[in-house]
Amino acid sequence: MASDNAIVVDHVSKRFRLYNQQAGSMKEMVTKRRFSRYEDFWAVDDVSLEVPHGSVFGLIGHNGSGKSTTLKMMANIHKPTSGTITTDGRISALLELGAGFHPDLSGRENVYLNAAILGLRKREVDAIFDEVVDFSGLHEFIDSPVRHYSSGMFVRLGFSVAVHVNPQILIIDEVIAVGDEQFQRRCFEHLYTLRKQGVTIVMVTHSLNLVRTMCDQAAWFDHGKVKTIGPGGEVVQAYISQVDAAEAARLEVADDRARLAAEAEQVVSQDLIAASERLVRLGEVTLLDGNGEPTHLPTAGEPLTVRLSYRCVSPAERPLFSFAVLDEQGVLVANPTMRPSHHDEKVYEGEGIVDYVIPRLALTAGEYRVTIAVHDSQATRVFDKREDALRFRVHAEDQLQGMVDLMGQWGSMGDQEGSSP
Amino acid sequence: MTAATELWTYRNLIYNLAQRELRARYKKSILGWAWSLINPASTLIIYSVVFGVLLKGQAPDMGSGREGNFALSLFCGLVVWNFFAGTLTGSISALMGAGPLLNKVYFPAACPPIANMFTIMLQAVIEGGILMVIMIALGNAGPTFLLFPLILVFVGLFGLGIGMVAAVYNVYLRDVNYLVSIMMNVLFYMTPIVYTLDVVKAELPSWAYRLYTLNPLTQFVNWSRDAFYLLQWPSLPSLLGTAAAASLTFVVGAAIFQRKARNVIEEL
Repeated sequence: MASDNAIVVDHVSKRFRLYNQQAGSMKEMVTKRRFSRYEDFWAVDDVSLEVPHGSVFGLIGHNGSGKSTTLKMMANIHKPTSGTITTDGRISALLELGAGFHPDLSGRENVYLNAAILGLRKREVDAIFDEVVDFSGLHEFIDSPVRHYSSGMFVRLGFSVAVHVNPQILIIDEVIAVGDEQFQRRCFEHLYTLRKQGVTIVMVTHSLNLVRTMCDQAAWFDHGKVKTIGPGGEVVQAYISQVDAAEAARLEVADDRARLAAEAEQVVSQDLIAASERLVRLGEVTLLDGNGEPTHLPTAGEPLTVRLSYRCVSPAERPLFSFAVLDEQGVLVANPTMRPSHHDEKVYEGEGIVDYVIPRLALTAGEYRVTIAVHDSQATRVFDKREDALRFRVHAEDQLQGMVDLMGQWGSMGDQEGSSP
Repeated sequence: MTAATELWTYRNLIYNLAQRELRARYKKSILGWAWSLINPASTLIIYSVVFGVLLKGQAPDMGSGREGNFALSLFCGLVVWNFFAGTLTGSISALMGAGPLLNKVYFPAACPPIANMFTIMLQAVIEGGILMVIMIALGNAGPTFLLFPLILVFVGLFGLGIGMVAAVYNVYLRDVNYLVSIMMNVLFYMTPIVYTLDVVKAELPSWAYRLYTLNPLTQFVNWSRDAFYLLQWPSLPSLLGTAAAASLTFVVGAAIFQRKARNVIEEL
C-alpha cells in the first residue's frame, strides 16, 4: 500500500509558538518563568493526505491556511508536532529559487554549491552542469559573480539547478511565477516533461488555472485543515465558489461605504453641474440575476439586468441614461448608452426605474466597477453622474483570459473522415 | 548511526560550504590567499617583539638544545587555541547564518558547523606549517611533528562537540553567545598558552595542579608544544585520556545537537 504513494501525510499537526516579545533572554527565563510568554498557534491541524507516485498534487487556499507549512513538512524542513509523514523517493524542494547563492561567487560556483545543498555529489553535478547552463540561458554570465545578476537571471539559474537535480519528488512553493514570459513557458514545459517522466510534483500555488490544467489532485486548505480533496478541477471549482461568495459579501459592504462616500461627495459634484440643470437625479444602481434577485455576484453567460433608479426634480423630456463598466485597472469595458430612439415616453416625472437587460453576461471572471450617468435628450448636458456607484464580481465556470467572452462556437470544416455532409 | 550515514551522503555539501566560505573570504582582495599567511606571520612577529624584546618572557630551552624563545613557545599554544576557539564560536554563527537556508531546503543542520570547522582547520594547518618551517630553519625538527594531524583531529572533535551544543542553545537563548565569549576569555588564561605548565606546577598545590591538567585544552597545548618545540612525545595517559575525552565530548555534543536541531530550525 505504502509503496503506491510517494508521500503519505498521516494525521499531521503543526504547532507554532508565537512569542509575545522578542527572543527571550536569561533574565526573563528566571523572572517570568511562570508566565507563558507565547501563544500556541496550530498552523496545520490534523491533516491527512496521500500523494500517489507520478501524480501532480496541488495545495490551494488563502494566505495562512497552512498549505506552505504542510509543504515544508513534506520537504522535511519542519518537523510535525504530531502525526507522521512518510516519503518515498528523492525530494527536491523549490521553496525559494537560488536559496544559498552566495553573491560574491560566480554563477558556476553557485551551481555547484546549490546542487550540493540539494544533495548532489560532485560527479553528479558535473554531469548536469551543461544542461543547467543551457536551460538558464546564462552562458555569457556563468563566470561572473551573481551579485551582478538581475533578479530574473538569479531565479533562472536557481530554477534551472533545482529541476535538473533529477528528483523523484519535486516540491514547489509558488516559485514558478518568476522570470519573463518566455522563461515561464519553459518552466512549465519542463514541469510537463518531468511529469511525463513520472516525477511526483507537489505544488502550492495561487494560480487556479495551473491547478486545473496540471494537477491530478488538489487539496483545499482552510485554517489549517483540509476542506476538500479531489480532482484538481473540482476542488478549484469549490474553492472559487466560496471565494466569490466571500468577495461578493465584501463588495456589498464596500458598496455601502462607497455610497456613503458618494453622498458626502455629492455636494462637490453638484457644483460641477449647475443646480438648475439637475432636472433628474440618479438613485441606486442594482444588479438583478435571471430570477430577478439582487446580486453582487453575477454569473458569466447568465442573464443579468442592470437597474437604475431616478427621481425627477422637475419634468424632463426624454433624459438619456447610461452606465459604464470598468475593470479593476479602470479600463473601460463597456458603456451602454440610451439613444433618443430608445424612448417611448416623452416626459419623465416623479420617481422611476430604468432597466438594461443583458441576455447573456459576456464578462470574464473578475471585479468590476460601475459608473452611472444621465444626460438631456441632446446628450449635451449632464443631469447627474455617479462614479463608482457599484462594485461587483463576475463568477465564471471557466477561467478565461481577457475581458470578454465572445461566446462563439467552434466548428471545423475541411476534409474530415466521418463528417456528414 | 543513520545521522552519520546521512552526513556522509552530504559530504559534498560540507565540502562546498567550506569552499564557499574560503572563496568568499578572499574575493576582491589583491593578495587573496596570501592573507591567511600574513595574518599569523604578523602575529608571530608582534609577539616576538613584545615578549622577546620588551617584556623578556621566559621560555624553556627547545628540544634541540637551542635557547628558549618565548614567542615560538607562545605560538605553539596559539595554534591550538585559535583552532579550538574558531571552531566553537564559528559553530554558533554558522548555524545562525544557515538559518534562512535551512528554512528553504532540507539538509542536515550539522553541515554548516562541520564545514566551519574545516575552514578553521585549514587556517590551523597554515599556522602549523609556518611554525614547522621556522622550526626547521632553526634546526629544531623531529619526528614529533607527526603529532600535528592528531592534534587537528582531536581539537576539532572537541571544539565541534562543545560548539554544536552552544549553537543549538544559542538559538533559544542569545545569551549563550555572550556567555561563550566570556568563558573563552577565562579559558584562554586557564590554559598554559601565555605561560607554561611548569609555572603552574610550581605555584599550585598538587591537587589543584591535577585538576588543572584535567582540562583537555591544557593537554592539547602541551601536545603542540611537545611536538613543535620540545620535540618529545606526550605521555601515553595524556594521549589516550585526552583523545578519549575529546571523542566523548564530540559524541555527546553531536547527540544533543541531533536531538534538538530539527526543532530549532523554525526558530532561526
